[in-house]
Amino acid sequence: MKPSIKGIAINTFRESARNKMFYLLVFFGILFALSSKLVSFLTLGDAMKVLKDTGLAAINFFCVLIAIFTGINLVYKEIEKRTAFNILSKPVSRDEFIIGKFLGLALTMLTALGAMAVIFFAFIALSGGGFDPGIALYFLMLFLELLVIVAISLLFSSFTTPILSFIFTVSLYLIGQIMWTYNEFRSYITVPLWRKLTQALYYLLPNLSKFNIKNDVVMGVAAHPWTILFSVLYALAYVLALLALTILIFRRREFQ
Amino acid sequence: MIRGRWLALAAIGSLLLASGMQGRYDSTVNYFGDRNAFVSLPSGRTLQVLSFGYRNLAADLLFIWSIQFYSTYNITNRFDFLERIYDAVTDITPRYREPYLIGALIMVLEAKDVPMALRLLEKGSRAIPDEWLFDNDAGYYCYKYLKDYKRAERYYNLAAAKPGAPNFLKRMKAHLVYMSDDPQTAYRMWLDLYRSARSVLEKDSARNHLYQIRAENDLPQLQAKIAEFRQRFKRYPASLAELAGSGFVRAVPPDFYGKEYLYDPLLGTVSAARTFRWKQR
Repeated sequence: MKPSIKGIAINTFRESARNKMFYLLVFFGILFALSSKLVSFLTLGDAMKVLKDTGLAAINFFCVLIAIFTGINLVYKEIEKRTAFNILSKPVSRDEFIIGKFLGLALTMLTALGAMAVIFFAFIALSGGGFDPGIALYFLMLFLELLVIVAISLLFSSFTTPILSFIFTVSLYLIGQIMWTYNEFRSYITVPLWRKLTQALYYLLPNLSKFNIKNDVVMGVAAHPWTILFSVLYALAYVLALLALTILIFRRREFQ
Repeated sequence: MIRGRWLALAAIGSLLLASGMQGRYDSTVNYFGDRNAFVSLPSGRTLQVLSFGYRNLAADLLFIWSIQFYSTYNITNRFDFLERIYDAVTDITPRYREPYLIGALIMVLEAKDVPMALRLLEKGSRAIPDEWLFDNDAGYYCYKYLKDYKRAERYYNLAAAKPGAPNFLKRMKAHLVYMSDDPQTAYRMWLDLYRSARSVLEKDSARNHLYQIRAENDLPQLQAKIAEFRQRFKRYPASLAELAGSGFVRAVPPDFYGKEYLYDPLLGTVSAARTFRWKQR
């Protein structure tokens, strides 16, 4: 890795890790995951299932919030505070700047998710459950999902304000979660042109529902190895596409 | 500028006023009186979409809410949406076992609607084909509440055929065959269970059933022969041996334990030493 990219990535990670919002969200993520024990008391039957469902949902929700909140501010703040000018006046290209920012954010997400995952596994063990490799696999898939979200928020952060970035990223996140219904809706379209356009849109929009295997792993439904492989490759390809687009936009931006 | 002390006083005063208003509000509401709850619930498919990936959580929350809701006895029309609610939960997460079992329990014990419970349990059986509990519960509800032994037997048959099904299901099946007045088949089934029994409980259960079925078969026949004896000799036989000796029966059959049936020569009645009153309803 180029030293400039590495330097920006480490600095981005440090900057994110110093952010109070980051700690607050990690704290609440852990707090909500642990409070799943309270919810499990209210159910009848398999309390461990409810504990896992609620805990994983809390981790998922707060990790997505971290990804969005840190991502949307990243480039925008650098430009607003003019710190980006200092960096770019050095022998650092705009491409390296974006890649470094993305890697730094990815490292931040890995740290947040890793901390939550370790605490969650320890909590499950203390509650009488064993190590579930399915949940470990889910955390990997969640990390891939977070990478896509980070790349989306980074893309919007490179050309618009944080509030608009937030709206766009959240919208795409929600759309991405219900992409499994898209083809069903599309089947109602009869006009050939619209059918083609919506088909193109289907491949353009982020399909995040494929990373969401938490519902299945808790129910003990094993994910197919090919499904996992295709999901991993999809995430990498989609992130690469988003980064390329972000770099293209960022290259054309003029700073005043 | 307002002083801090006044602000603190204003805060405390406002809080006291709010508490007073809450008290007044409570006096106008009868929290524990009969209520008519209106429940509006989207379909399970819609909830799946609206949960935005948190499908299990949505199902858990709806299930937990339903447990609380159906434990609130002062809501008068709480059963109006019972089937819809459990259909929704089980549509969101079809492989979640508890809502089928608990939902069916509420339908039977609270709503007194066994057919509704059977529909839910059959749905569970279709969603998780390897689970024997659904058919077991359905069989039990048919047996206990509908007194439909044939249908109960069918459910126990299905449950017993599933992987990991416990042995007692075969006993329940045989018991229901006995209850549905097919003693010959029941005797064969219990004999198989008796021979293959691996525990004292299984052996005793089979032995008791075999004893009862054999007694129910033998006693009316013996009683008829005693009546024939009396018709010919104008008296009851002094013993069952006399009945056999005078050619009315080839031999007096023993009970399943190998002992003689009890005979009262004064009344001319024959009975078994033990009677299991399973058929008393």
